[in-house]
Amino acid sequence: MFVTALPTIAQMVGANRILRGVAITHPTGDPSIPPDEEHRMRVSLVRRAFEMLETDVEPRTVWELTS
Amino acid sequence: MSTVVHYLNQFFAGFGGEEAADHEPVRLDGPQGPGRGLAAAGLTVDVTLACGDDFFGEHEEDALSTLLGWIEEFEADVLVCGPSFGSGRYGYACGVLAREVGRRGIPVVAAMTPDSPGVLAAEGAAHIVPTGSNVAGMREALPVIASIASRLAAGEAVGGPDDEGYLPRGLRVNALVDRTGAERAIDLLLAKLAGDVATEVAPSGDRVPPPPPVDDLASARLALVTEAGCVPQGNPDRLPTRHANVWLRYDVADADGLAPGDYESVHAGFDTTAANADPNRLVPLDAVRELERAHIVGVVHDVFYTTSGVDTPVATAARHGQEIAAELREAQVGAVILTGT
Repeated sequence: MFVTALPTIAQMVGANRILRGVAITHPTGDPSIPPDEEHRMRVSLVRRAFEMLETDVEPRTVWELTS
Repeated sequence: MSTVVHYLNQFFAGFGGEEAADHEPVRLDGPQGPGRGLAAAGLTVDVTLACGDDFFGEHEEDALSTLLGWIEEFEADVLVCGPSFGSGRYGYACGVLAREVGRRGIPVVAAMTPDSPGVLAAEGAAHIVPTGSNVAGMREALPVIASIASRLAAGEAVGGPDDEGYLPRGLRVNALVDRTGAERAIDLLLAKLAGDVATEVAPSGDRVPPPPPVDDLASARLALVTEAGCVPQGNPDRLPTRHANVWLRYDVADADGLAPGDYESVHAGFDTTAANADPNRLVPLDAVRELERAHIVGVVHDVFYTTSGVDTPVATAARHGQEIAAELREAQVGAVILTGT
């Protein structure tokens, strides 16, 4: 599955499991929050990715970190 | 009278197949092989140039210099290359010759499959008529080639790719129209809302069905892949920062995360400051390790895969994907997180 801050482009090229990342320059991180909080956010993002990997999806589905 | 020059490989010029692929460039009077079909379609070939595909590939500079010399000598008004159909080497030779001749201000018409390496090699310098992958497409291609080439030779206007049946060249052509930009923008918007979209920046159309869900993530092997240009500090294997034609793999079997002192991004397509301060922001190894320890995911694969996805042709990106996927499959990886920037 694909974690990206540009999900429309991911859909255009045909990715099927797409999770919106935080930003283009740091899809799985966020320098604007304290390191502890950032790490927890990253773990949540990866868990969300896992959830998507375990889910049957329609072609070119985009998920957000929070459902 | 305009002068029409036609380029063929050894096979279509009648010298033979692979055994003649090292044939050096030759010039022949009048049409040969498919050139006779062009004549039937209304385009009379004056001179045919031919070269073996291997000779061109292995002695590109020599072959080009000979062929270009002849084309100048004959004062060609138009060059026709092929059709080369799905042939890689022939298509490449046609594309390179087309590019060089086109750059010298002589119009070129070629014909090949849209995914031929010749299309990229031509760099928009030629009108390329799309064909099927084999010679069965000859009958359909020749009249289109003849029509475009005869007008180019006569200095007449040729319409856009859709109207004429050639591949978009990536060029913007200025044209005068009688309606204002605002009116045309509204028309485009309304057409788009109605589902009528015309663009030359079309999606690749590579559609695969979503793979079934992972059965049991807690026992699966998970791999991390990225196009974010993430490499060990100092980029020891010299991953190109853009136009990367390679991907790399790095061992992270003993790493708890991607430490800033150990990894960096050399991607030329974004500001890497935040990523270099903590490369887990690009490849979330630290989070994945934590979930591995918690037995939420089975095993994190020993290596992660990386390239820099900047100005990468779709064909190259597709090859990277296929090659990496083949390795992952071989290693019985059951789930992948790919991160993109």
